Amino acid sequence: MLLNIVKSTALVAFTSCVLHAGEFNVQAEKDRIALGDYMVAKFKDAEKNKDKFFPYSTDDELKNNIKKDIPLEDFSMGNYAFSIQGQFSYNEIKDMPPYEELIEQGEEIYNDNKALQKCFPDVTIAGEYPYFDETKKEVVSLTGAINECLVDAGQKKWNEKKGKMAFVQSYFAYSTTEAEKKVDMKITSADAAAAYERGKEFYYTQRGYLKLSCATCHVQGAGKRVRNESLSQLVGQTTHFPVYRLKWGKDKVENGLGTLERRMAGCVKDQGQVPPKTDSKEMKELLYFMAYMSNGMNVDGPDVRK
Amino acid sequence: MKNLYSILAATGLALVISGCGSSSVSTPSNDTLDEKKLCNVESNGIETVLATAVQYNKIAKEHGVEFKRLGMTNTQYIAGSQEALKIGAKKVVLLNKKGKPTKNSVTVSYAVERACKFAVSALTQEAEGKNTWRAAVPGDGFTY
Repeated sequence: MLLNIVKSTALVAFTSCVLHAGEFNVQAEKDRIALGDYMVAKFKDAEKNKDKFFPYSTDDELKNNIKKDIPLEDFSMGNYAFSIQGQFSYNEIKDMPPYEELIEQGEEIYNDNKALQKCFPDVTIAGEYPYFDETKKEVVSLTGAINECLVDAGQKKWNEKKGKMAFVQSYFAYSTTEAEKKVDMKITSADAAAAYERGKEFYYTQRGYLKLSCATCHVQGAGKRVRNESLSQLVGQTTHFPVYRLKWGKDKVENGLGTLERRMAGCVKDQGQVPPKTDSKEMKELLYFMAYMSNGMNVDGPDVRK
Repeated sequence: MKNLYSILAATGLALVISGCGSSSVSTPSNDTLDEKKLCNVESNGIETVLATAVQYNKIAKEHGVEFKRLGMTNTQYIAGSQEALKIGAKKVVLLNKKGKPTKNSVTVSYAVERACKFAVSALTQEAEGKNTWRAAVPGDGFTY
């Protein structure tokens, strides 16, 4: 009798796992598609849909600065997907991007570090991070994986926001882009789905003394103008990191390149809250959710932003 | 029949193992805190309001929702206020993002009230957010 129970338990549990293996990402897929549909509808014709999506924008900016009929894939360019004026200056900067020498530095650091070569034999993996580690039961970010690799090899951790970390990640991103790979996020267990949901809740929850959520600016607020900037949209937000920000690099070119963690910490600070630590569970799960919203899009990094 | 019992028992056990049961962790409710009442320096006294700030900011930090305005965390507002009261200063000097003093300052009373309001709002907002965040999700609570 006992043996039968054990056998049947194993069979039922195994069958349950097999049946549900492909279903853990159902909610995430619904979210991703709904978000994409919203962005496509929002930017279908901004001028015509002013009352619905851009009530506080001027007719002039909707007519002269927001593109029409933007295909979903184009959102991987960030706000340059829709901002006509932004794209003009972006294209000029891209003629001679300030991060080129930093990619080369990243490649040199990688080639000089045997531990990194051993941990990351394939450098075209930028679209596969973050992922949910089913053994550790936690989200692993590229930043975390690189530092873990260094520590395991007896080396010191790198700064998680800039410097060598950003240089090596830019080399990975560049190689992934050159290999024409796409963002490849997976949710294959209930634990992974729960991590995704927590990241989603963080993104959509109002926080800080300004009571803003990430979504206030980058979902409902996407395309709206703050001072002289058009707010970027959540879809495609992670495809091009690390990024070179002109603001970060104004004193020293090397400081201009930053990881996604650096950018997100800055965003949460802008909401008026102490940001989660760059290697915290909250930060990794937030990145996991954000990356899933860009699932299937082309990796397009590194890139330049204001 | 024996097999049927085996399957039923196994199914129950498998459901438990696979985590189909639901569980919830209860957290203290902070949505009923009244910041205007709690943080009124005139009616409560500056020491009491500062103590309230310390009490609730500790929880806010534990929950990962501590407020930060420009370069200054609420912990720094509290520390600045405590120091000012200790030495009898009339002003609290504001700090920049590197923790260095700036040229700007506020009265101690203002700093204490702000620290208290930041501490309490962080928690009321967190409690409120648990019920409202879905309203912003396309395909869920957000329609257009």
